[in-house]
Amino acid sequence: MENRIDRFVRLSALLTGFAQLHLLGTGMAETYLRATDAALPAGVLDELLAAGSPPSAGSASPGGPALPGAAARPGVSALAGGTDPEAAAGQAILGDAKLGPVARTLILLWYRGAWTALPQEWHSAYGAAPRDVDHVVSAEAYQAGLQWDAAGAHPAGARQQGYGAWASPPAALETESAPGTTAVRLPRQAGAPTVTEGARS
Amino acid sequence: MTEAAEHEEYDVVIAGAGVNGALIAKHLTHAGFRVLVLEAGPGSAWSLDGYSRHLDHFYAAASKGPESPWPPAVAAPQPDTADIRSGAGYFVQSGPDKYGSSYTRAQGGSTLHWLGVCLRMLPEDFELRSRFGVGHDWPLRYGDLEPYYGRAEHEIGVAADVADQAHHGIEFPDGYDYPMRRIPLSFSDQVLADTIDGMRVTLEGESIALQVRSYPAGRNSVPRGAYQPVGAVDADVDRHDMITHLGERCAGNTSCTPICPIEAKYNAGKTLAQADRGKLRVLAQAVVSKVSVDPVSGMVDGIEYQRYADPASPRHTVHTARGRVYVLAAHAVENAKILLASGLGGDHSLIGKGLIDHPALYAWGLSPVPVGAYRGPLSTAGIEDLRAGAFRARHAAFRFDIGNDGWRATTGGPDSSVVDAVTKQGLHGTKLRAHLAATLPRHVRFSLAVEQLRSEANAVTIDPRHVDAMGNPRPVISYHIDDYTTGGMAAAAEVARQVFRQAGIEDCTDPEAGGWFPSVRRDGEVFRYHGMGHFGGTHVMGHRAGESVVDTHQRSWEHRNLYVVGSGSFPTMGTSNPTLTMAALALRTAEHMTEALAARQPIRQGEPSGF
Ligand SMILES: Cc1cc2nc3c(=O)[nH]c(=O)nc-3n(C[C@H](O)[C@H](O)[C@H](O)COP(=O)(O)OP(=O)(O)OC[C@H]3O[C@@H](n4cnc5c(N)ncnc54)[C@H](O)[C@@H]3O)c2cc1C
Ligand code: SF4
Repeated sequence: MENRIDRFVRLSALLTGFAQLHLLGTGMAETYLRATDAALPAGVLDELLAAGSPPSAGSASPGGPALPGAAARPGVSALAGGTDPEAAAGQAILGDAKLGPVARTLILLWYRGAWTALPQEWHSAYGAAPRDVDHVVSAEAYQAGLQWDAAGAHPAGARQQGYGAWASPPAALETESAPGTTAVRLPRQAGAPTVTEGARS
Repeated sequence: MTEAAEHEEYDVVIAGAGVNGALIAKHLTHAGFRVLVLEAGPGSAWSLDGYSRHLDHFYAAASKGPESPWPPAVAAPQPDTADIRSGAGYFVQSGPDKYGSSYTRAQGGSTLHWLGVCLRMLPEDFELRSRFGVGHDWPLRYGDLEPYYGRAEHEIGVAADVADQAHHGIEFPDGYDYPMRRIPLSFSDQVLADTIDGMRVTLEGESIALQVRSYPAGRNSVPRGAYQPVGAVDADVDRHDMITHLGERCAGNTSCTPICPIEAKYNAGKTLAQADRGKLRVLAQAVVSKVSVDPVSGMVDGIEYQRYADPASPRHTVHTARGRVYVLAAHAVENAKILLASGLGGDHSLIGKGLIDHPALYAWGLSPVPVGAYRGPLSTAGIEDLRAGAFRARHAAFRFDIGNDGWRATTGGPDSSVVDAVTKQGLHGTKLRAHLAATLPRHVRFSLAVEQLRSEANAVTIDPRHVDAMGNPRPVISYHIDDYTTGGMAAAAEVARQVFRQAGIEDCTDPEAGGWFPSVRRDGEVFRYHGMGHFGGTHVMGHRAGESVVDTHQRSWEHRNLYVVGSGSFPTMGTSNPTLTMAALALRTAEHMTEALAARQPIRQGEPSGF
């Protein structure tokens, strides 16, 4: 039986476009799971996880690895009968009045390391939890934001790339979340001892 | 209640441990004089432990503005850029325009969050009135300050190459070069230079060629010769050498403003750590409230200060410090405030009058090719060509800062772009990631910093109705941006559009979509501006007493044992960031004070020089 954190990470991978291994590599999965639980009315996150899982998830791969290398993602692909699992997640979740806003907040959480409060209308319809306010989850969460990886950059004030790295083109931008994507990509120029300035300068 | 500092005799008492106070303290202690520094804010940034707590504060802050790592003590409140919008906060803005800049009241001062750009003023900036018929001349010329500029560049530790900086009439002595090599130009600078260098723009009929030019920066790079870069300060270590090896070279943290995590960027704590500490006493959490003047001699006979133990509380005790000579180095606004709160100056005084800034516009866009945004020192180059020219007779000069921090300052990127992609464009998964990977590295930002002329209507005053938690006055600011400056804004905005076209950059400048900024109008056009943190003009320097507050040594005309130092002494500021120039002036002042104190002449009012 796939546990809750695995299901959380698998859904997060579909929503963010980053491989599960990359998400685990940030070290933030459990923190985000807790932060999400604390910011949502009871049961909402489980509803979201259920919507993001194949109906057979429990029985299809008992005890099976949900993680790295799990190239064939069972999850939503099964649910959508073989179509693109991401598109299926989009249909099943992002278009849903209740789960859509929660999923979007989850995407922002992974990209920014910060929780974004759900809209007022959502609160009126489905209830509010005390921690559902805009906040940076922690100093570590800020630094782990996927937005910096997506940009081929690094969080301002942390994980610096080394003297002169800024003079080189940005790191090759991987958009493919294929199995085997390294969890923590080293910036291209990290540790480069000397940097020659561009000939044009 | 009394305390030790009250019973001790000092040669010099300095208010403020910013770059000005620190430079004067360093030089006077090494000349053998006993110096007391009274600092309003906490001294936490002076130890590595304390500094890292400020860093954590920044990481966890929801908004990462210039003030985010530096929360003020209740006893020493400070302006916050967010207050400009709300109208609340420390400054009382009496208009008509909003003054957009801020500063930090903590030991180390505003250099804790400055960017570190260290341009010299141009020779023509000192002679605005005689060359262009506008503004004011300085009582000093570029040549008078040149030797001190060189020394200031070594004190601050400036990285640049003379070969890049000798333009617009700036001259360096033969054989001179900066202590460290220039910071490598960012990839973004190189991409822009490729398309922009050599393009021409026309200002008031004058055709000017543009070029992307490296900035001199107070940021450690590769040293020249025997120069030893100054690393982070740690007051908790061996008291004889507080300078550590951390931060001896910039590592590309991309957060110079508001906090350099490794102190590769200069801050005034480094200078203070280099003082002769056997001769120095630094009292943090000591707010100077008044200078006391002997009514007969006109001499300052003491400085009153308020000491507090808990930064979260206004509870304090009041004390007086005494020395032979006094220095106000508390920042342009605070210097004026202290003088006014002391009842000095009288009706026709110029104290507080002539407040200037560099009101600045943002222009931002999407480059056709990736420029590698969000990496490196926040800015490594600019376009300097429009800082000088005959057009200055008609409108303000300006300077382009090229950002390496994408749209962070303008829209709050990358966060704002992520939010937009997810909530407005409805993207998720690999499409979201691909969209961000394709756009974020193409974010380009310019700041267009515009010169402002001195006007006595622009002023810092005090009003007993507006006081802080300690009962000290809050600065009341009257501020107007005149046609000379809005003319410069209009020209700057037009040049930005031309540069974007030339470089194929999609212009995304949309103040409504960006952060909130105050606005000013000209001929129906609205300009949204922000402050650059470049305060000036509040205790202006001049040749004669009636026309100025201090002389060319920043010595008060009325109180001859009082020096009032910093950019408040500037009659004009041209387009250069002020700190290098104020450091040069501070070194000149320290030299003068050393001679005068050493001569041990009795201090008499009205003497042109020497005590
Ligand atoms: C975001 C930002 C970026 C900047 N970037 C640049 C740049 O790139 N280049 C540049 O040249 N300039 C820059 N500046 C400006 C620069 O920071 C200031 O010009 C410079 O730090 C001013 O030095 P100062 O010593 O006069 O004042 P401060 O650095 O403000 O120091 C004054 C000190 O006095 C203390 N003090 C205040 N009131 C009292 C009191 N009543 N009693 C005792 N102590 C008191 C303060 O706590 C502080 O320690 C920037 C400013 C900002 C806001
Ligand atoms: S780029 Fe980073 S290391 Fe370099 S000065 Fe700025 S904050 Fe410091």
